[in-house]
Amino acid sequence: MKNIIIGQYLPGTSFLYKMDPRSKIIALMILMISTFILKDVTHILIMLGVVLLILKIGGIPIARIARGLKPIMILLLFTFTFQIIFIKTGTLIFDAELTLTVFTLPLMIFIILFWYLTRRYIKFKFLYLLITAFGILTMLALYTPGSVLSSSTLEVYGDGLSGAFFIMVRLIIIVTLSTILTLTTKPTDLNLGLEKILKPLSIIRINAEEIAMIISIALRYIPTLLDEANKIMLAQASRGVDFTEGKLKDKVMQIISLLVPMFIISFKRSDDLANAMEARSFVPGKRRTRLHTLSWHNLDTTVIVFCIFIFISAITVRVMF
Amino acid sequence: MAIKFEQVNFEYPSFDGYNFSALKDINLEIAEKGEFITLIGETGSGKSTLVQHMNALIRPTTGSVTIYGIKIEKDTKKKGKVKLNPLRQRVGLVFQFPEYQLFEETVLKDIIFGPKNFGVKESVAIERAKQVIKHVGLDEEYLKRSPFNLSGGEKKRVSIAGILAMEPDILVLDEPTSGLDPKGRDDLLKLFMGIHNDLNKTVIIITHDMNTVYKYASRVLVMNEGHLVYDGLPQELFSKENIKSWNLDIPDIITITRQLEDKLDVNFDRQPHTIQDLFELVKEVI
Amino acid sequence: MNIIEIKDLSFSYQDEIDALSNVTLSVKKGEWVSILGHNGSGKSTLSKLIIGLLKADSGEIKVDGVILNEESVHDIRRKIGIVFQNPDNQFVGVTVEDDIAFGMENLCFEQSDIIDKIKEYAEKVSMSEYLKKEPHALSGGQKQRVAIAGILAMKTDIIIFDEATSMLDPKGRESIMNYIKEINKAGVTVITITHDMKEAVLSDRIIILKEGRVIACGDTNDILNDKETLNSSNLELLLPLKLQYLLDEANLSNDKVKDILWQLSLNK
Repeated sequence: MKNIIIGQYLPGTSFLYKMDPRSKIIALMILMISTFILKDVTHILIMLGVVLLILKIGGIPIARIARGLKPIMILLLFTFTFQIIFIKTGTLIFDAELTLTVFTLPLMIFIILFWYLTRRYIKFKFLYLLITAFGILTMLALYTPGSVLSSSTLEVYGDGLSGAFFIMVRLIIIVTLSTILTLTTKPTDLNLGLEKILKPLSIIRINAEEIAMIISIALRYIPTLLDEANKIMLAQASRGVDFTEGKLKDKVMQIISLLVPMFIISFKRSDDLANAMEARSFVPGKRRTRLHTLSWHNLDTTVIVFCIFIFISAITVRVMF
Repeated sequence: MAIKFEQVNFEYPSFDGYNFSALKDINLEIAEKGEFITLIGETGSGKSTLVQHMNALIRPTTGSVTIYGIKIEKDTKKKGKVKLNPLRQRVGLVFQFPEYQLFEETVLKDIIFGPKNFGVKESVAIERAKQVIKHVGLDEEYLKRSPFNLSGGEKKRVSIAGILAMEPDILVLDEPTSGLDPKGRDDLLKLFMGIHNDLNKTVIIITHDMNTVYKYASRVLVMNEGHLVYDGLPQELFSKENIKSWNLDIPDIITITRQLEDKLDVNFDRQPHTIQDLFELVKEVI
Repeated sequence: MNIIEIKDLSFSYQDEIDALSNVTLSVKKGEWVSILGHNGSGKSTLSKLIIGLLKADSGEIKVDGVILNEESVHDIRRKIGIVFQNPDNQFVGVTVEDDIAFGMENLCFEQSDIIDKIKEYAEKVSMSEYLKKEPHALSGGQKQRVAIAGILAMKTDIIIFDEATSMLDPKGRESIMNYIKEINKAGVTVITITHDMKEAVLSDRIIILKEGRVIACGDTNDILNDKETLNSSNLELLLPLKLQYLLDEANLSNDKVKDILWQLSLNK
């Protein structure tokens, strides 16, 4: 049997694991809102400090968080560059003339090509990209032999730099907070917590229990479906479906040959499952007791009080400074 | 030799680092013609993994599988030179559930899907479909029907027809008779015997039914915890001592013969193969 | 006392030939009945009708004296548990303990009671070590055992096994058959639906379905003696029985051989 893990739960014993998922979700919300209230670099750095403190006490390795940040690296880089280039207020910190000459153009293309071909062998890909980009910029600024093709000025202003830094830190905080939640809470507990928090929504006719049941069944069947998708792929590969070859028209057919069986089997499965659930006296919307219930401890209250304190502080510093 | 396994090991990767070893040191040869092989062993013993190597759906972690002269190893695909599709055409693999492969609007379209992928012209493929639908014991009229409105047994036949239309040299079937009633099972097995005898193809069947093994197989392979523990005649398998430790049943005919010998206090001079044989033997002693 | 009484039950799926026509049968409290038939004989349709997952075109089903209808269906489901064919498609919980708890949660058992019962019934089907395991780490036989535990915990009077062993390997099949024997011994009425005569002979009584009709119904011994019906049923005869018939035809049988073959037929 293959082992499929949903979510990224990391087993542990720290206070984060002892907390009720409800309080964890609420605390996360409060901290996120507080982060958005802050408008100053110093304040947001203090906030980052608080988050790092939570990580430290919670015993979560920074490496795991870094892994969670990976997918948004590009986004971070993009906002950073955007902020630096377009914000032109505050003091001018740095300016340089970037000149593209007949010599540096092919050199630049060569460097980019070299980066492209070698990046797969480098362990720290992101760092490698940064060094390459920085290298090109330095070259364009300092090395200007031959006739000039084009030139422009790169100006970095104080506000641009601090703004870029600010936004980056804010994004990192948000992602880190949500990663803490998913790392320390099992998907099932998270589901149960969400169900309880969303319960008041029944006033506007949203049934939290039903949504939670759907999520729980999805969690249960995702590994089964993945396994099945794999088998269908193998079965069709046995009939000559080869995804690496073929024209576009064939490709469409190949994808259909995977999707149709997936759907047909899933419909049959949901039909069987509905029968099995009904046969075991499940009635949608009817009251049920639960094997797993949540219990709120002093720890949860403490954490929430702490978060509210942060929230009030955030408002205060926003208004005062 | 059509297929040759040499020191094959296979591991399923897993996220937590403990890879699951599904095949361990498999050495095996399968002839192109004339074999009717059953592959048995309890669930999780590696039977399906083994047959998926036979048409290069998966590649060994170590060791090699040679299929019609083409050596498949761990990094075969990365080298990019080897085309796997021709192998899949020559070794036809039918999966356990027909639902895994049926997807077209009509049975005809579904049957010609395989041949067309292997570059057979549509008109030729349609001719083949008309042939194979009869081979699997269904009417030509079935070609127009939707594969989803068929009974379980009929779906199974259509899925087999879809593989037969590829005109493979070797036919491999993963648990083709599971879930069928005795009549459906016997009909299918007769069909496989027909393919084996008339078309002179090697047929390999995965099964849990020891009666099938005893009645039809010319050779039996037993898997146990990833090892190939037996490769030989079915008659000899069931007189072996360790058969219990492999969690295999004994065919009904052998069980009842042994019980009769015990209760009637006689020793039959030969092992009966069918109920008729047993009848003749019993006739002699009363 | 009859715990299930079915009278003149007919059912057909949309514009198809009748899946069941005029089925009349009864099941006594505490007995073990097999419903035997080939694929498409309507036997699984029958089980879905009994538990109210399908609605009959005509006829009547009475469970423990109560007529099955829209109002009574929920009460009747409390009395009948059913183990379906496909182990994967009836496993509702994310883990073994969640799945055992599912039925009890629906019946609003107290949380502490649920926890105790999970322990008790997981023990009964030897799944205690697996309580926190997820279904994809279990074999088909283990999943069926979890389904049995979930139903036993609901304390139903009747348990239907709807081809519950047909997707399992021999080892899984044997273990499930053993649990069925135990369950029946403990006083639960058991209905097994199967196409396997070897499984059917273990029960007290056999009902044979063919093309939606009851063609035979009686004590297991009587059914096994009814050569004509068995031959017309399209079912696979047991080998000892076949041998018996061959000997009968040749007028060779004697009482000793007959007795031995009979014992072998009954799997004793």
